[in-house]
Amino acid sequence: MNIALINASPKKAESASGILLDGLKGLFPTDCDTKIFGIHDPSMPETAIEELQRFDAWVFAFPLYVDAVPSHLLSAMRQIESNKAVDKDICVYAVVNLGFYDGQQARNALAVMENWCVKSRLKWGGGIGFGGGGALASMKNVPLGRGPKTSLGKVFSAFSEVILSSSSQENIYASIGLPKFLYKLVAEMGWRHMIKVHGGNKRDLNKKL
Amino acid sequence: MRLIISDVLNLPSKTGDKLIIPDSTLKIHHCIGCFGCWIKTPGQCIIKDNYMNMGELLGHCNELILVSECVYGGFSPFVKNVLDRSISYISPYFTTRNKEMHHKQRYDNIINISAHFYGINITEKEKATVLNIIAANAVNFSAVVNGIVFHNSVDEIKGALA
Repeated sequence: MNIALINASPKKAESASGILLDGLKGLFPTDCDTKIFGIHDPSMPETAIEELQRFDAWVFAFPLYVDAVPSHLLSAMRQIESNKAVDKDICVYAVVNLGFYDGQQARNALAVMENWCVKSRLKWGGGIGFGGGGALASMKNVPLGRGPKTSLGKVFSAFSEVILSSSSQENIYASIGLPKFLYKLVAEMGWRHMIKVHGGNKRDLNKKL
Repeated sequence: MRLIISDVLNLPSKTGDKLIIPDSTLKIHHCIGCFGCWIKTPGQCIIKDNYMNMGELLGHCNELILVSECVYGGFSPFVKNVLDRSISYISPYFTTRNKEMHHKQRYDNIINISAHFYGINITEKEKATVLNIIAANAVNFSAVVNGIVFHNSVDEIKGALA
């Protein structure tokens, strides 16, 4: 089985999408041929689209942007759709991470991915909406399936089986294993800390221009 | 102020309208997820191009008209790019709406959103996705949806907005 893991975060490094794909990759057997691709810009090299052809499954990971797919990925999706050589038997999956707590808020982004598959005549295998993705970067040393990543480990375990069997699932939604109020509290402390680090004042987080 | 974000050029407009349209000579950069518009230059995107002031423009508009090709049940890459570059309109602080987490408003205005989508062979599922996305956008922006219309052609939109 060949699986392309497509990091579609606009960040080339240190992204939650990358952390999620690394975690998922670890669940595939060692004889499974996986490769990580990056879509960080609106335009994809045609050679990358051609290389993607040799994979049985494409797993996209990207952050939720304004309730849907980030624009740079949308551009790349159009490019892939217009490439007549794309193998229609490829099964597409997606993992959407959110700064919001509730994974369900990825539902529209996953619907866009499904609609794209229909237009591109690719097979839609379903996706995951993972809320609280903003916390993943600070939990790099926490193993998948442990502590705050317990729920992620469960959904990824089932998701990896679906991918390996080239089958489809209904979209699944999960959140980071922290109480919602605590996630909100920590995230907002983080904003206040970061604006100070950049020489600003916490009052400016609500600055009007 | 009426703000029009459109991937269609030469739309009919009124005096005082602010049009955000593609510029063939100036590239629009995409959001890089740095949150600089919240923590480095609050209220303004740090990427210096014609679209760095979208949050401020939204903060001073009362009517937003979105004109877009329907792409997979959502906006075209250009219109989506402009919206992605607009998150300085909202505050990084969280609040709860409809039992879900959202961002607090930075500004006090209420935006009335109208959306016009065009394209051939827009499927019913794509239309349903559009309705859901605009509804979600309205919740996130504390806005009100005035109407969503699907058109078969750009000319139909020009006629509707004339």
